[in-house]
Amino acid sequence: MVKPDARSDIRNVTDADLVREALSGSDPAFGELVRRYQDLLYRHAVRMTGRGDDAEDVVQSAFIKAHRNLGKCRDPDRVGAWLFRIAANACKDFLKAKRETVGVEQMPGLPAPDGDPEREADLGRVRDEIERALAHLPAEQKEAFLMKHVEGWSYIEMSRTLKVSVPALKMRVHRAREELQTLLQAYGS
Amino acid sequence: MDNRLQAYLDGELTLEDLPLELRARAREWNALIDDIRDASPAGAPLGLDTRILAALDSAGRRARPAWITWLLRPRLVPVPPAAALAVLAGLFLIVTVLGVPGGDAIPESRVYVQFVVEAPSAETVQLVGDFTEWQPTVELEDADGDGVWSGRVPLLPGVHEYMFVIDGSDWVTDPNAAGYQDDGFGQKNSIVAVSPVSGT
Repeated sequence: MVKPDARSDIRNVTDADLVREALSGSDPAFGELVRRYQDLLYRHAVRMTGRGDDAEDVVQSAFIKAHRNLGKCRDPDRVGAWLFRIAANACKDFLKAKRETVGVEQMPGLPAPDGDPEREADLGRVRDEIERALAHLPAEQKEAFLMKHVEGWSYIEMSRTLKVSVPALKMRVHRAREELQTLLQAYGS
Repeated sequence: MDNRLQAYLDGELTLEDLPLELRARAREWNALIDDIRDASPAGAPLGLDTRILAALDSAGRRARPAWITWLLRPRLVPVPPAAALAVLAGLFLIVTVLGVPGGDAIPESRVYVQFVVEAPSAETVQLVGDFTEWQPTVELEDADGDGVWSGRVPLLPGVHEYMFVIDGSDWVTDPNAAGYQDDGFGQKNSIVAVSPVSGT
């Protein structure tokens, strides 16, 4: 356990220094990397898998893989992007293994009702339809759509992180939009 | 889907650039995206970091025998001054007799390697690899504008991994590489094997 003053100090350490310290065996340094990036990875994993407990498993396995392979992190200043790529690949592997049959009714983290039952019912129905549609997208399209639109990445950032060309990523997002539009129209009809 | 709507959603057009009938569709897309964003949790659940570190701890520590952990643990060893002097004298003797290890080693020769890639529509092409610490510090050139980019880089003998970066963002594997190496995360790096220069 890190003492409070040591925890305060480690929060000011750069990512690159944390990687170097973790590589030399510092558990607190790797722990700080986990704390810094768990939210980013978890949010993506929840959106990709559709379930909180699956997302936790994916994020945990991603950090364990990262810990074992930390020496392969070529750019310690961008360790966050490297961690994200590991988690993103883990999400895609998970979805492919499950054949993208995630149920939308178990989607975690929906906001609590605000007191207007009719409005909440409408909102819930729309979100169910969106989640059903997202669950039907191929993993690569879903990943690109979520990163671009929901998580706010630029195409260049996505390209650097996923090591996929910008035109290829644009094509994935465009196809995802078309697929979502078709699916949502079908649900609404 | 209309290409103008796609361009708007890509951030290449503003809402005002769209005709009225597409603005309504654009607003629907914005609302849909907001819905997806709102339906997601703000962050990881409480205690996830603790669970991850515990899993790491059990995965890593169990594999390491206790005696290795004991040996690797840093510790202070008090040394009497007389003993320290004796150790220093011993080291002096060893260095005098054997010389400093590697002190007279010949520096390893680098070998110039030519990298070539065809990228007709590229504005810039950079070479990145383990020898640049994966930083885009090597610019390839296309002096005659034929779309074939090349550059010579001095490399140490051994096996190196590399990729090309087109227009500063597209990381591509060399289609003509001598080999490929899975980087462990779903992508492949190109491989070049550099032989040492034969004797001078």
